[in-house]
Amino acid sequence: MAFKKSRPSDQFNPRAWLNPRRLRNWREYLTGYLMIAPSVILIFIFGIFPVGFALYVSLHKWRLKRDVIIGLDNYVNAIGGLAYLMFFALGIGLLVLAFIQFRKAFRKRPGNPWQSYLLNIPGIILAGATLSFVRWTVALLPHILDIANKITGVEKTRLLFIQLLNESFNAPDVLQARSLMLWMIGAGVLTLILGAYLIRVKDNLQIQGPLFISWFCAGTGGIILYYVYSEMMSDYHTAVLTGNDPGFFSQLIGILSGLVLLFIGYKIWQSAKDQRNTWLFIIRLLGAMVFVVGGWIMLGELPVIVAAGDPDLWVGLRATLFYALGTVPFQLGISLFLAILLFQNLAGSSFFRILFFLPYVTPTVASAAVFRQIFSNRLQAPVNSGLRLLGIEPLQWLWEPKGVFQLLATSLGIESWPAWANGPSLALVVIMIYSIWTFVGYDTVIYLAGLGNISKETAEAAEVDGANRWQVFRHITFPLLSPSTYFLTIISVIGTFKAFNHIWVMRLEAALQTTDTFSVVIFSEFYEKLRYGYASAMAFVLFAIILILTFLNTKIQGSKVFYG
Amino acid sequence: MAEESARSQHGKRHSDFTLRNISTYLILVIGALIAMFPFFWMISVSLMTIGEAQGIRLLPSEVHFENYINAWKEAKFSLYMWNSVRITLLTLVGELAFSTLAAYAFARIKFPGRDIIFGILLSTMMIPAMVTIIPNFLTVTWLGRIGPLKWINNWPALTIPFMGSVFSIFMLKQFFAQIPDELYDAAQIDGAGHLRFLWSVALPLTKAPVMVILILSFIGTWNALAWPMLVTNTPEWRPIAVGLYSFIDEAGQMLNLMMAGAFIAVLPVLVLYFFTQKQFTESIARSGLKG
Repeated sequence: MAFKKSRPSDQFNPRAWLNPRRLRNWREYLTGYLMIAPSVILIFIFGIFPVGFALYVSLHKWRLKRDVIIGLDNYVNAIGGLAYLMFFALGIGLLVLAFIQFRKAFRKRPGNPWQSYLLNIPGIILAGATLSFVRWTVALLPHILDIANKITGVEKTRLLFIQLLNESFNAPDVLQARSLMLWMIGAGVLTLILGAYLIRVKDNLQIQGPLFISWFCAGTGGIILYYVYSEMMSDYHTAVLTGNDPGFFSQLIGILSGLVLLFIGYKIWQSAKDQRNTWLFIIRLLGAMVFVVGGWIMLGELPVIVAAGDPDLWVGLRATLFYALGTVPFQLGISLFLAILLFQNLAGSSFFRILFFLPYVTPTVASAAVFRQIFSNRLQAPVNSGLRLLGIEPLQWLWEPKGVFQLLATSLGIESWPAWANGPSLALVVIMIYSIWTFVGYDTVIYLAGLGNISKETAEAAEVDGANRWQVFRHITFPLLSPSTYFLTIISVIGTFKAFNHIWVMRLEAALQTTDTFSVVIFSEFYEKLRYGYASAMAFVLFAIILILTFLNTKIQGSKVFYG
Repeated sequence: MAEESARSQHGKRHSDFTLRNISTYLILVIGALIAMFPFFWMISVSLMTIGEAQGIRLLPSEVHFENYINAWKEAKFSLYMWNSVRITLLTLVGELAFSTLAAYAFARIKFPGRDIIFGILLSTMMIPAMVTIIPNFLTVTWLGRIGPLKWINNWPALTIPFMGSVFSIFMLKQFFAQIPDELYDAAQIDGAGHLRFLWSVALPLTKAPVMVILILSFIGTWNALAWPMLVTNTPEWRPIAVGLYSFIDEAGQMLNLMMAGAFIAVLPVLVLYFFTQKQFTESIARSGLKG
């Protein structure tokens, strides 16, 4: 046979390594590794390593240049006591992951209990080796970064660079971390090979892999939990010493129990839905309400914690929320309407599709620049002159930091308008209009694709049964479109957190940063205020929010979306 | 009943000018007018004199094409345009070459750790750009300071970080995996190795996804603002998006020049869109590009 399919080494058996068939496979392996090398190296340098590096930066005071390590202070400055909660949740999450992986390995364990205990040893040591590798990189990183400072002003030669590199690899603290790492790796590999020889189990690697991940997650989670705890304690002591109120323990307990109560309420609510007995249904509903109300009361501590954080960040988060609420429903509604009109396949509908898609394709900076002029505060600008034609007072548009509801109230003559009901600033509303203008075309294309996937028979059957157009849409087309709606909602909501280009172009100083959504706040913190450490910490808060949204979305997806 | 529905089906197909269709057209036309107004205004103002541009006119009294020449000269648009073209070409070539190799290996070569590595690569797609932009800026500055190659204000910082693309690898991998094994077996009997097979059999079959990647990367590179703004503080390698962004402030009251500049920046993308309209729409619909 000319071509034998190579098999991945699913059995870790050292004797098999010298099998000639395996030796032939090495060539194949090498080809594979060489072919993925350029991409993997680039993605590692610019996609994976930066996450660790950003974490490293975020634990420092880092204004343009690296300064002292300040632990979680950047996070505490950004989101107050929630910072501890965030890392606490990360630690717990890693422990849960460790448990899941452990259970996965446990199912394949050998019958002999001693063997299954012993199988853990390589995993533990290798997890320790990985953590000591991380420690070594963290020790090495500042020395490597310093090379750039040492080399400026001097003539750059390869020899000098190699010498400096050598120096940083041989710095005392790096050497210490390295010797620990090498010992751990050696011991790990040794126990792995010994284990493979002594304990002959089927699927050795499929047990060792999850065990290693499990122990690694457990170790990392434990370290994070311990670190968060010690940071909290040190903050607590400084607060006691300076006579401040170290209220965050009670706050955190309040928030956590509030979340747990909400979760229980949600579960009861779910069970109530399936309940056919009316009385049991009402009792469960009431129970759910009690838990939800209790949860909300416990979450009442939230504003206190929020007040401890950075007002810029909360204003940014609020702007993002407004932006999401003000764009996603409108954009989806308009595009669904247009998609249904276009789907009738009237003459020229492909021409209209091209036109509606055009704003989405247009380079963002250019179209945002045009919008900046159309919604300018000049009296002669298109929108303002249109308003004047209608006899309405011209507005400041992108220059207006006041909330739209506040403006509306003032024009209606209401004097005492509450500050919390101001709504998004008029400038932000213009950005929302831009966003709707841009994304309607995209959403329409997705909806058209969704409509194309619906079989016509169902709708026709309903029409035969006497349903009118609205009923067909409401009870057949719209439910069958739920995958598209769901996809678009997720994409758009996550998109609002990432939105940057058009807001950056349309943000003006006159609007007093009311237009800055989360990403813009982070970028201006980094680019304008040069607070690298703080901006990195904020970026991780953004990451956490996106992760939570993604997690919620996978939870909802199972129950609410109908895949016909 | 059946007869009636058959008649209504029949009627639907042939009557294009019922009252309902007219109202449909009306709505579509209004929508198209709203969608097109910014383009109309941009082009119209770009042909006016400064005085007219600042007034309330919707159409120029006289067409002034020289605005384009002035904007082109004043804002160094020729340089920016050339920069964008160079950056896009370099990124595309690098991205396509590296992604094809990697996608082929992930799809058709079996090596230990393949699925784990691919899974790790895929998981990086969740990371928001704001997390990586700060450390990447530090990395790029560091690379520029230690080595002989200049990174900031030069092509490496603008292109190399984008040459490794998880999205492209993913798309091409899906496609390579569909090529039947028999084809490879036959090629191997004829003495072709992996690279030979990739170049002369697999790649010619992959035109559609390659087109998608080309279009998406083109839009991505043409649109990018935050990163190029960070790594170019001189016009030397500044792409058109950043050039236009700085020109918006410089042009100030000269609306006509600003709009001419905006139209210059938009034009290449629009031309590409109209020529490859179908693939363009499909490829964008398939990804969730543009934040």
